[in-house]
Amino acid sequence: MKGYASLVKPYIIWMSLFIVVPMLLIVLYAFTTSGNELISFRFTLDNFFRFFDPVFIKVLLKSLEVALITTILCIIIGYPIAYIIANASEKSQTLLILLITLPMWINMLVRTYAWISILSDGGLLNSLLEFIGLPPMKLMYTDFAVMLGMVYNFLPFMIISIYTVLAKLDKALIHASHDLGANPLQTFLRIVLPLSLPGVISGITLVFLPAVSTFVIPKFLGGGQYMLIGNLIENQFITVGEWNFGSAISLIMAFIIMASMMLTRKMDRDASENTGNEGGKLW
Amino acid sequence: MRKLIEFKNIVKSFDDSLVLKGINLSIHENEFVTLLGPSGCGKTTLLRILGGFISQNEGHVYFDDIEISNVPPYKREINTVFQRYALFPHMNVHDNIAFGLHIKKQDKQTIEQKVKKMLKLVNLQGYEDRPVTLLSGGQQQRVAIARALVNEPMVLLLDEPLGALDLKLRKEMQVELKKIQQEVGITFIYVTHDQEEALTMSDTIVVMNNGEIQQIGSPTDIYNEPENRFVADFIGESNILEGVMVEDYKVKFDDQTFECVDYGFEDNLEVDIVLRPEDIDIVPLEMGRIKGVIKSTIFKGVHFEVVVETPYREWIIHTTDKVELDKEVGLHFFPEDIHIMYKMGSY
Repeated sequence: MKGYASLVKPYIIWMSLFIVVPMLLIVLYAFTTSGNELISFRFTLDNFFRFFDPVFIKVLLKSLEVALITTILCIIIGYPIAYIIANASEKSQTLLILLITLPMWINMLVRTYAWISILSDGGLLNSLLEFIGLPPMKLMYTDFAVMLGMVYNFLPFMIISIYTVLAKLDKALIHASHDLGANPLQTFLRIVLPLSLPGVISGITLVFLPAVSTFVIPKFLGGGQYMLIGNLIENQFITVGEWNFGSAISLIMAFIIMASMMLTRKMDRDASENTGNEGGKLW
Repeated sequence: MRKLIEFKNIVKSFDDSLVLKGINLSIHENEFVTLLGPSGCGKTTLLRILGGFISQNEGHVYFDDIEISNVPPYKREINTVFQRYALFPHMNVHDNIAFGLHIKKQDKQTIEQKVKKMLKLVNLQGYEDRPVTLLSGGQQQRVAIARALVNEPMVLLLDEPLGALDLKLRKEMQVELKKIQQEVGITFIYVTHDQEEALTMSDTIVVMNNGEIQQIGSPTDIYNEPENRFVADFIGESNILEGVMVEDYKVKFDDQTFECVDYGFEDNLEVDIVLRPEDIDIVPLEMGRIKGVIKSTIFKGVHFEVVVETPYREWIIHTTDKVELDKEVGLHFFPEDIHIMYKMGSY
């Protein structure tokens, strides 16, 4: 087996070239002023200070808010679905999980475009409203559209990670709870829910982190005015051309993501310790 | 003793296979009943029907003369010790045991008192705050028993509860379980495939095979008077031979007629005969009516297991005396050692 270890080398080279080097470049950009020569850098912290402007802080808070609401909605919608799937017959479980993951086979960009054609003024939904004689609704470029797109996109991650834990749950525990006099509701609240928390926590990691930095969904479904932190970074790089400021925001973002990852990992560890299993851990 | 549980013509099938083929069984108060049989004989299925976790296709279950087939498990006055304990991993020992009492909304003081009493009964004082995942198999087992018994059920179901323990611990727990049953004085229904476990603990053994009850009786009955070839074979080691009941008290096998103590069979009926290995003595050649050669001898601790070959068959004999290989010997047994059984399916 030892010989196979060297097979990892090309991968390491690939990773360092295309992931580590760009990241180092971002760090370099973030701490320097613009207009540098290749050999002489002028270091500065101005890029970071610039971010602490009420306008940008508002964007950051809005991003966190959207990500938080998305995560909560994903839990509320995803948990019952995961529960139903986990309790279905084995055959239907495979089918249902396939259906849940099916949209993920198609690129997220394409799926978001599909929502545009559903939600736009002359789109599918409004045509339907017109057909049944209701007034048309302004759907595109609203908070609703963004939220819909976000939940739609991230819900599968939540469902899968909760389902994984619920499916592994020993049915004997549920029988034992019934046996000891607990009715189905009591059994759910005292046994199933606490034991499935590790799945919920890894679901939170999988939904909250990408949701906080996404820029495609707010850009397409929220319109040009809808500014989240992801869009802000994209703007700095592509539209404004302020690579140094953009890099600084990226680093701030990376710091926030790392902090929240450490927090959820700690929560996960606590939950696993309490349940005595490592279930639902994705890393 | 009062009749507590009655199964009436229970039929159960999973998909296309018939698991229980019309079980009729009564279980009494304070009885230690063991459902004994090989895996797949339907014993666990019967237990689960009583616990309410699955329902039968046909037949009725009565508890205290009331039909309970449609009563959900959480409303039955029955508690179960599950095969792999099924302790709640997110709770400590105390909370596991107190679970049923919390559900019944008993007051805190009563709960503490009862949990304490249970921990004493199962010999786990001082373990209240331990997480159950850190307990050994034997300790988990005790917690599972305490968690069930604390609810003061009228019946405790035990589904192969000792299966995961090592031999020594299993023996200890057998004695302890029997002691607990006598102390709390309730009905235990115990499922096992281990015949020795069944013989050690039970008041009544129900031998099952292929979804049917083969024999119901006390351990001594089952061992000494097996009703058919299956029971004789499953309980302990046996020499099972085919023979003919010539007339009352006379049975013919291996071309010789022997005196026995059984009667009431039809004359010249073909029967199965069981001779327990420990009931046969090895005697000098001229003193035995059956003669053979010693083929092998294995030391088993307390006894030797000796195989004697005759022109008709190989006999298994348990003896504490050392014997020589390849020696010609005689075999001797008394009339009361011969147990006559109807052939399976002929009654």
